[in-house]
Parts: sequence; structure tokens; C-alpha cells
Amino acid sequence: MSQALAPRRESEFGYTQRLRGWLGNHWGKPRFLVLVTWSYIVWSIVPVLVAIQFSFNDSRSLSSWHGFTLKWYTSTNPNIDSVFHSAELRGALEQSMKLAGLDVLIATPIGVLLALGLARWRGRGSGASNFLMLFPLVTPEIVAGVSLLLLFSQLLTFVPFGTVAQLLGHVTFSISYVVVIVRGRLFSIGPSYEEAAADLGAAPATRLTRVLLPLLLPAIVASAAIVFAISIDDFVISQWLSNGANSTTVPMEIYDATRATPQPSTDGIATVIMVITLLSVVAGVLVYRFFTRGESGRGSAIDDVAGFGI
Amino acid sequence: MAGGEVEVVDLVKMFNEVTAVDGINLQMPAGEFFSMLGPSGCGKTTTLRMIAGFEQPTSGQILLDGRNMAFTPPHKRNVNMVFQNYALFPHLNVFDNIAFGLRRDKRPKAEIRRRVGEALELVQLTGMEKRKPGQMSGGQQQRVALARALVLQPAVLLLDEPLGALDAKLRKTLQIELKELQQQVGITFIYVTHDQEEALTMSDRIAVMSAGRVEQVGPPQHLYEEPTTTFVADFLGVSNLMTATARGESNGRCKVSLGEFALYAANGDVSTTGETRIVIRPERVRLEAHGTSGENRIPGMVERVVYLGNGNQIIVGLAHGERIQALVQNTGDELAYRQGDPVQAYMPAEALRVLTDTGTAPLEDDPRARPAVRPVEPIAEEASTPNVNV
Repeated sequence: MSQALAPRRESEFGYTQRLRGWLGNHWGKPRFLVLVTWSYIVWSIVPVLVAIQFSFNDSRSLSSWHGFTLKWYTSTNPNIDSVFHSAELRGALEQSMKLAGLDVLIATPIGVLLALGLARWRGRGSGASNFLMLFPLVTPEIVAGVSLLLLFSQLLTFVPFGTVAQLLGHVTFSISYVVVIVRGRLFSIGPSYEEAAADLGAAPATRLTRVLLPLLLPAIVASAAIVFAISIDDFVISQWLSNGANSTTVPMEIYDATRATPQPSTDGIATVIMVITLLSVVAGVLVYRFFTRGESGRGSAIDDVAGFGI
Repeated sequence: MAGGEVEVVDLVKMFNEVTAVDGINLQMPAGEFFSMLGPSGCGKTTTLRMIAGFEQPTSGQILLDGRNMAFTPPHKRNVNMVFQNYALFPHLNVFDNIAFGLRRDKRPKAEIRRRVGEALELVQLTGMEKRKPGQMSGGQQQRVALARALVLQPAVLLLDEPLGALDAKLRKTLQIELKELQQQVGITFIYVTHDQEEALTMSDRIAVMSAGRVEQVGPPQHLYEEPTTTFVADFLGVSNLMTATARGESNGRCKVSLGEFALYAANGDVSTTGETRIVIRPERVRLEAHGTSGENRIPGMVERVVYLGNGNQIIVGLAHGERIQALVQNTGDELAYRQGDPVQAYMPAEALRVLTDTGTAPLEDDPRARPAVRPVEPIAEEASTPNVNV
């Protein structure tokens, strides 16, 4: 009896109603949300994938596919500006890596020390300084770039434009990321480990080296990875503080090349830089996860900040 | 290991404008299992943290074997602490956790190995040296925390609600183990808890604290049988607190009147007069058939019978308007009373106690610490079964 009734009941609904039911069934899967999410992912990733694809195109065309080649990366033919052999592209890659590497080496230790200091500092000014620490994260980069340009051209004229000025600029905004990540970790580990170490007879310096730094290590590694990634990606500040000739970074090179004569090797260097960024961030997150495995599932700072930083 | 004697003199701790500890005095003789018991916010943990050295007293002294330690930093005090969340170093394995203090003390390698081995044996964790804290159960972590503190042979061991995170059954087992351990090592244990049962089970003496002050100090039995304040009576176990008017003493007994009824109370502040509070434990209230005559009896009606397994909690509405509860042991016989039956509540004079103060109401901010049933207050009809934490 009930079997006979079932199909008749289904036909009571029209197609539109059934589609609505499929998308927004209160008791079913949230299909509408899934649809929106995947639409966004496709929208944001497909153009990048297309750009990557054409860096392997066996033609100068960036619109029609002529078969696979690696020549835009590895060719030594002087007529082809390959990523690894063209003086400009290679120079840009080296400049970017140099800036990012030095940035990590300088900004990470300073950021860690600042985070430790800010976490300890109680009293007048501590709230304001904690808030102002976020300022470089929200200042428009163009503003930060112009202000540094004015600073180095009017006031601190002994700072030469090019690598030194660019590095100072990168370090300036990188420190904030380190502070935010490390401070988050400091708050999540709380004061009890340090107290336990003190209770067991550890002097303040020993507490720092034996307990605090090992516990902060994942956050330090993660913030170093993120600093590397954002430094590699940076365009605005590098552009403002360059001296034109030999301080061109990859993003600057891509910008110039695309405006002049876009060719597959531009896509190629973009691909290289993207892979490096991705690897450094993935490595950072993996290292963080590795070191914090087995800890109870409290929300880790990296999960919040990784999304913010990249 | 020799136990240390701890004395706290006029200890005050203020956080900005808030007084957390309000001038307390405590003596803890060497080798004693001493508990500080009270609801959260009563100052017990702050006191413990001052003894450990994590907080600096606003004023007062902390004497360890007669020497004032108030200005000694924590890493130079001969006391060790077991933290509420254990605070085991997650990046170190069990061996390195326990060896941490010995290494800071620059002991030779062989001695460290031997003493860590002994400590592990003491807490029955031999063979777990290579484990990381994250790979252990809560109970095991708790033992590692104990071993890490005890391996340094402190004069005093401080314990900040160390069983708080464990489930009820494990907690019971560890209570007994902790007490045995304390007797074995013979050092002073200062134990902080909000769990009155835990304090009663393990302690040699208990200080009941409220709002930064010590309400009463004494052995468990003394506190349970002879509470002096309303707070202590209410906080420890289940109490029937009743408001009464004291009419004066005769033959060592205080005549009190509740409405038109008169009772004699033989304990507590029997010489008081005027408005006062009297208390009787539920297990001391005897229910008799309606119409039984004699002194210290008030007629009433059974309002509710709650089956507890090992007994029945019977809530009786007394004729003068207050409610009390009686605890009747489960002897296997069928209970003689049902809801609505008229009964006579017999409260023997030797079980009735006149309390000194009528003031300090128990703090209500911590539901865990609050005694579950307050029979003197009207029980709402839709309230669920009252649970008894005795």
C-alpha cells in the first residue's frame, strides 16, 4: 500500500520546488553552501592554473595552446628569455630570494623578543602598544611605502635605495607578523610551564632557553615561513624603495614584463615564485603541526594567523 | 625526606583594589596533610601560590621552618608544586620532565638516573621513561607531575586541585593513593581543593576559607561535627540550617524556639540569646510515626522521597513552615513513609548545634562548590531531583 503511494506523492511537487528542496533541505546536506564555496574556489584558482599552463606553452602565445615545453624555464637560447638563464629574470629571482632570506633572519628574532616583551609587559602603555603592533598589518602598503620613501630620501639619507632600503622596509612590516603569531602561541601555552620550571629551580634565563623557546619553536618556524612568503610576494614596498637598476624583485619584473611584452617566461617566473611561497607556507604549517602534535586540541595561533598572513 | 613546618602570618594579597587574601594566619606542622578548602574566589589558590613564590604577598610573612620566605624567588624555595593542569613540559619525555629539577641542581648523571628511577617507582610508572606527556592518560600525567615534584625531596609539597581534571572514579582511587604516598614520604602536603569530600577523605587538618578569610581550622571530624559558622556547616556536607530564637541556657542546653515549637540544642554556642541559626545533619534527624510524644519533636509532612541507592533522602515540611531533610539508610526494609504521610521529626538535642554567627552566607558563584540542597529554602515544585553531594 505505502509503496504504491510513494511515487504519486513525489509528483505533487514541481521542478522548481524540487530544485529548491535539493539545495536547501533543512534536514539534508548544506548543498547551497557547498555550491557557493566551490564556485569561489574555481573562480579564484582557474586563472592562476591557466597562467601556469601557458608557462609550459610551446609558443609565445598566451592564448592558444601549442604543446608542452620546458624551454621558458631552462632554455639557454639567447633569443628566449628563460626563467633560469635570462639575466633579468634570474637577477630578479636572486634579488627576491636574498631579500626574503635576510628578512627572515632579521625580522624573526626581533619579532620573538618583542612578543616576549609585550606578553610580559603589564601596566601603562601595554594595551596601546599591543594594539599599535597590529598597525603595520592594516596600514595600506602604498602608504607604508611612500612614508619609507620620504623617510629615506629626506631624513635618513645615508640609507641607500636598493637592497638596503628594501630590506629595511620588508623587516618593518614583517616584524608584526612574527609578533602576532608568537604572541598567540605565548598566550595559548600560558604561564604555567614557566612557573613549573621556576618551581623546579630554573633561573629566569634557563626558563627561557629550556622551556619557553622549545615551546615557542613551532610558532617561530611558522612565522619565519610566513615572513618568507610575504617578503617574496611583496611588490609595493620593493618598488618604492628600489634604485631601479639591480634591485628588481620578481613581482616588479613580472609587472614590468607584462606591461611591455608579456611572454610565457613571465608566467614561468610567476609560477616559480608561487611554488616557493606555497612550499614555505606549507612547510611552516607542517612543522608547526609536527611540533604541537599530541597537544590537546586548543585552537592554534597558526590556524588563525596563517589565513590572515597569506 | 623531612617535612617542613609552614606558618603563614597575617598574610594579605591584593590585586589592584581586590583583596584576594585578607590577613590569614595558619600553622601547618611538619609532616601534616593540610587542606585549604573553599569555593572558587575564596583565596585558597592565591595563598598556595604565595607559598610557592609565584605571587608576592602585599603584606605578611610566610615562614618555612621559621625562616621568612616572602621575598625568596620561587626557584630558590625548598617547596614544590603539583599544578592543576600538571604543567608537564610537552616537549620533554617523562624521564626528562622528572630530571628537570635535578639537572637545574647540577646533580651527577648517575644520581639523576637513580633518583628518577626511584621517583617513577614511587608513583608506579616504571618503564614509562620514554613516553611524552601527550601520550599518557590524565591519571598517568598526574603521577608524573607528582614524581617531578617529589624527586627534589622538598620540605613541603603544594598541590593545587591536582585531581580536578580526572573522572570521579579515578579521583577516589588517587585520593587514597595520595594519602598513602604522603604517609610514605612523610613531608608536609598543602592541598587546595573546592571538593569537600576530597578534603575530608585525605586531610589531617582542613582550613575552610571564604572571601579571603579562614572560617575554621580543624581535623575533618571536628569540622563536620562541630562547625562554628553557618558557612562551614553549609559548605561541609549537607546541613539542615534553621533560623530560631534562642531563649537562654539551662543545664548546658540552649532552649530555642521555632515558631510555636521549642527545641533544646546541646551543642555549639548554647549560651547565646536572640535570633540565631541552628543546624542538624540529615543523618541525625529521625522520623517517627505521627503522634509520638516527647521533647525535640516537630510534626510535619513528607513532601518528597528521593531514592539515593544507599539510602533515601526524605524532605519533610515542618509544621512551623521550614523544610528539613532526613537521611534514612537503606537497610533492605521497605520505607515506612511516603509522600504526603504525616510524621514526627525527632531532632535529638545532642545532634542540634547552635551556630556562632548568623552572617556569612555561603558564596554562590561556583556551582561545583555549592552544597546542592538547601532545605531551609522553599523547594520549587518544578525543580528536578535534588542531588546530594555527601
